[in-house]
Amino acid sequence: MPQRYRWPTIGLHWLTLALIVAAVVIANILQDMTLSPQKLKLYSWHKWIGITVLFLLPLRLLLRFLDPLDHRAGLTALEVKASAAVHGLLYLLLAVVPLLGWLHSSAAGFPVVWFGVLPLPDMVGKDKALAEVFKELHGGSVYLLLMLVVLHAAAALYHHHLRRDGVLARMIPGLHKKT
Amino acid sequence: MKFIGLLVLTLFTLSAWAQEWKVDYAKSQVGFVIKQMNVPVEGGFGRYTVKATFDAAKPELGVFQVDIDIASIDTGSEEGDGEARRPAWFDTARFPTARFLSNSIKREAAGRYTVSGDFTLKGRTRPLNVPVVLTPQRGGGWLVSGRATLKRSHFDIGGGEWADPSVVADDLEARFKLLLKP
Repeated sequence: MPQRYRWPTIGLHWLTLALIVAAVVIANILQDMTLSPQKLKLYSWHKWIGITVLFLLPLRLLLRFLDPLDHRAGLTALEVKASAAVHGLLYLLLAVVPLLGWLHSSAAGFPVVWFGVLPLPDMVGKDKALAEVFKELHGGSVYLLLMLVVLHAAAALYHHHLRRDGVLARMIPGLHKKT
Repeated sequence: MKFIGLLVLTLFTLSAWAQEWKVDYAKSQVGFVIKQMNVPVEGGFGRYTVKATFDAAKPELGVFQVDIDIASIDTGSEEGDGEARRPAWFDTARFPTARFLSNSIKREAAGRYTVSGDFTLKGRTRPLNVPVVLTPQRGGGWLVSGRATLKRSHFDIGGGEWADPSVVADDLEARFKLLLKP
């Protein structure tokens, strides 16, 4: 029985975390900026990063279901359910958050061109009122995602330090189960 | 006398029809598309006036004049609108109006014309040739539509930190659709 996820799964997990942190940091910087070329660049990077998270999601799900590691090993029935619920919601939000951002951008009249190369179709027509709605929903969904990320990390630390069952070590190369 | 009066009135009306047209502003548009970070973004102007004199039988005698109130710009975002009015962009305090005034109209094919003239923006005047499609409307009138590519650097639009064309492209496409009514 393998003790760790395979490296693409591990790599994409941490890459997704890094992308989310970068997108959130950029979003916060953007809020305090007046319009400048730098701001237009950061807007674009924020969108590109979010769309990257969305595009990586199907690949990550595929890898997860193909991974031979039994992630339920050592868990109680209740824990399996809780874990499934949190992971399910995390995956859902990893799709919903960027999709709402994309919708916001479309409704605001600014198409998304991924890395300035791949033009994405507009999800809705230009509509300022609708853009405001998607903006609020995008922001709200981010808070929900961040709360779940904290919960997810807290659970991983609980498993590592208190349960000492090697759950965290499965996702961190070089880390070993506490004894 | 009555008959002659009617004839004069009719001729006057006909010639007026062939001369200056009214513009249905509700169904007209003057706008542009410019790439920002390689993303085509549409914008437009809310206020402009058009004087159009055109007779398909004598297109060369026609004149088109378009005056655009630059402060009525819609760039797609409020902060963009505010920025566009500043000195680095249109400097609307000093240059509130842009004007296109034609000096020749040439028929290219059925319904297709080249309208040549001078375009004045931010105090700079440059010749501009605009390919225009004129579509006759039911009940008289014309739908005048066309596109022309301009370089914002030619008019000193968006200098300084904004000069970098990889953020906001130098080329932009002016687009218009004017509904002329008798």
